[in-house]
Amino acid sequence: MQLTYLEAIRQGIWEEMERDPSVFCIGEDIGIYGGAFKVTDGFIDRFGADRVIDTPIAESAIVGAAFGASLTGMRPVAEFQFMDFIGCAFNQISNMVAKTHYLWGAPAPLVLRGPSGGYVHGGPFHSQNPEMWFVHNPGLKVICPATPYDAKGLIKAAIRDNNPCIFFEHKYLYRRIKGEVPAEDYVVPIGKASIAREGRDLSIITYAAMVHTALEAADILKNDGIDVEILDLRTVSPLDRQAIAQTVKKTNKVIILHEHSRTGGLAGEIAAIINEEAFDDLDGPIVRITGLDSAVPFSPPQEEYFLPKVSDVVREARRLKAY
Amino acid sequence: MAKKTVSKTVVSSNGRGRRGPQSSNPDSSHRTYAIPDYRLEKPSFSVHQVREGDEVRYEVKGNLGAPVPPIRDSKYLNNQQAIEIYRYMLLNRRMETALENLYKQGKVVGGVYFGLGQEACSCASAYALDKDDWFAPMIRNQGALLVRGFRAADTMMQYMAKADSPTKGRDGTSHFGDIEKRNMVSPISMLGDLIPVMAGVALGARLQGRNIATLTWIGDGGQSTGVTYEGINFAAVQNLGLVLVVESNLWAYSTPSEMQYRVKDLAERAIGYGIPGVIVDGTDACQVYDAARDAVERAHRGEGPTLIEAKMMRMKGHAIHDGADYVPKSLFEYWRKRDPIARFENYLVKEKKWLTAKENAELISDVERVIEAEREIAVNSPMPTPESAEGGVFCEDGCHEIKPKYGMPKVKQGARRLKETEAAVHLK
Repeated sequence: MQLTYLEAIRQGIWEEMERDPSVFCIGEDIGIYGGAFKVTDGFIDRFGADRVIDTPIAESAIVGAAFGASLTGMRPVAEFQFMDFIGCAFNQISNMVAKTHYLWGAPAPLVLRGPSGGYVHGGPFHSQNPEMWFVHNPGLKVICPATPYDAKGLIKAAIRDNNPCIFFEHKYLYRRIKGEVPAEDYVVPIGKASIAREGRDLSIITYAAMVHTALEAADILKNDGIDVEILDLRTVSPLDRQAIAQTVKKTNKVIILHEHSRTGGLAGEIAAIINEEAFDDLDGPIVRITGLDSAVPFSPPQEEYFLPKVSDVVREARRLKAY
Repeated sequence: MAKKTVSKTVVSSNGRGRRGPQSSNPDSSHRTYAIPDYRLEKPSFSVHQVREGDEVRYEVKGNLGAPVPPIRDSKYLNNQQAIEIYRYMLLNRRMETALENLYKQGKVVGGVYFGLGQEACSCASAYALDKDDWFAPMIRNQGALLVRGFRAADTMMQYMAKADSPTKGRDGTSHFGDIEKRNMVSPISMLGDLIPVMAGVALGARLQGRNIATLTWIGDGGQSTGVTYEGINFAAVQNLGLVLVVESNLWAYSTPSEMQYRVKDLAERAIGYGIPGVIVDGTDACQVYDAARDAVERAHRGEGPTLIEAKMMRMKGHAIHDGADYVPKSLFEYWRKRDPIARFENYLVKEKKWLTAKENAELISDVERVIEAEREIAVNSPMPTPESAEGGVFCEDGCHEIKPKYGMPKVKQGARRLKETEAAVHLK
């Protein structure tokens, strides 16, 4: 059936709650109101207030409580109203949750999820992509799906995973894209990238909303005779090193595209992986297309300037192809 | 269903009707609140920062000459239980003395943290837990680990970073845990973060049909953190069985409590959380036990969290490197007379005569034997191999079976099916 990205996530969580009584949801305004984006709309009527818990506005308490419950064998799914607010719980995530298995061998099967990303004029505190705060944090799995199929399969995989998973839902995609989602139960493996488009001439390595930007650019570039391959990472930690190396070995030219700021961004890490795994296969410089090194500005013309665009990808791809 | 649950939460969570403002005149605009104070003495002194020329130091103002009060008889403890707590307090102190010696011998990696003067607080509160209850110690609660069944060698090996330590060398001090048998959550160095976690442990158990008590401690310094507020408040609104012992030990590293908070007693914070708060003498094992036991039983009845403020003093520096020269000497003298072990020993041997002098001497020498044997085990453990730094970051397939500890939650399901949501959203 055709589902939006948001409905796919809703279905995934709903089905896991139906399947496993140890799964519960916790967060701000997720109960009767159904969440700021309505991801848990109707959940409280089906699963009851014990399993759909509205909390005070206290992100550290939400993560701490979810973590504590996970130590008793529960599988909490904690919602951040916006992923920008995950910073309020940073210590709980970084020092408590992420280190727990390495230091004292306790598994922490919890999911922290919420909307991230720009293109909706949310301003500096409702548009961020803070995944890199957690990529540089051993012990966490960081997931950023681009399609309804992957969003559903990955949220289910995250809930079933025995480790803390941070699940970034791109809010621009919530109701803008639809895709085929099978009715039967399935999961998408965490840590595996997928080829969103096959091509020969150059590779664009990207994820989340930028996959769709890359796909649009690829259609334009096709008219120029440039055949673009797009690698959708799906999980940004742990990275699928093999898939990254494979696409570089195939096309020999690579653009890394992400929405968050450039310095210390994921592109730097991927460039290092390419350097380690496929240096001899490169026929051109590794190109980065990213957000600017600033906060995400509010006003639409400024936000558009800040964020990567289809035209940026087309321009850089032409330049790289000609190199 | 939702409506029913919400109304249940409002009535039973804060228990506002029962615990709310008390006033003899219902029309009065002045509210009064009660904080029970079980201490048999109320020290009347405070620490002040004095600035003279270029010098800044701390001075005590008030009466430091009061006689040592008696131990308050416990409502609950029988003589065997009291003696057992006393033994744990001795083990706690002797273990830390052994650690101090190991440090002087160069066998400890890093520093040593002491609970000197706080043994009654650590041991008697942990002793109030039942087997299925959980706890999470702070750095000065090493005695609680002994009460809950860990060996002294476990903590000693942690300090020496040994391969056989509970974290296999990966962390030191009391930073370890056990979710299988002893229901202990590992502390981290950041203060206050255990509080919402322990609320969450109680939440997880409640979803599985069990009301348990989850005990943790926080200092007068640590309670300044924001996450402390978040955690207690969450436990309060959710009516979870958190038992929080606020250890008012007067010094947060080098900062006196007068520069940490403005309320008279930290137990008053309980009023702001809408939960019961009590004050006890942290050097009196009976007072600590009784307050903790009351709190544990409230938790078991599903009546929510309790804040216990235990007053005492940290009798050493922050850690072994710190000579605590900033503490006025007269304060040490005052609190040394209130040593929790000496007081309890006097109570058991001289006042109650539950222990003869001979039995006491035997008990002490047995504790010394135990600690020496534990020290031997710890010293003889090898250091970890360098490459054991690798692995274990993630729980891989098969390394843990995860299932609800107290049984699969009972599921109540409404008739509603999932249907597409079309409601307005925050940002489009």
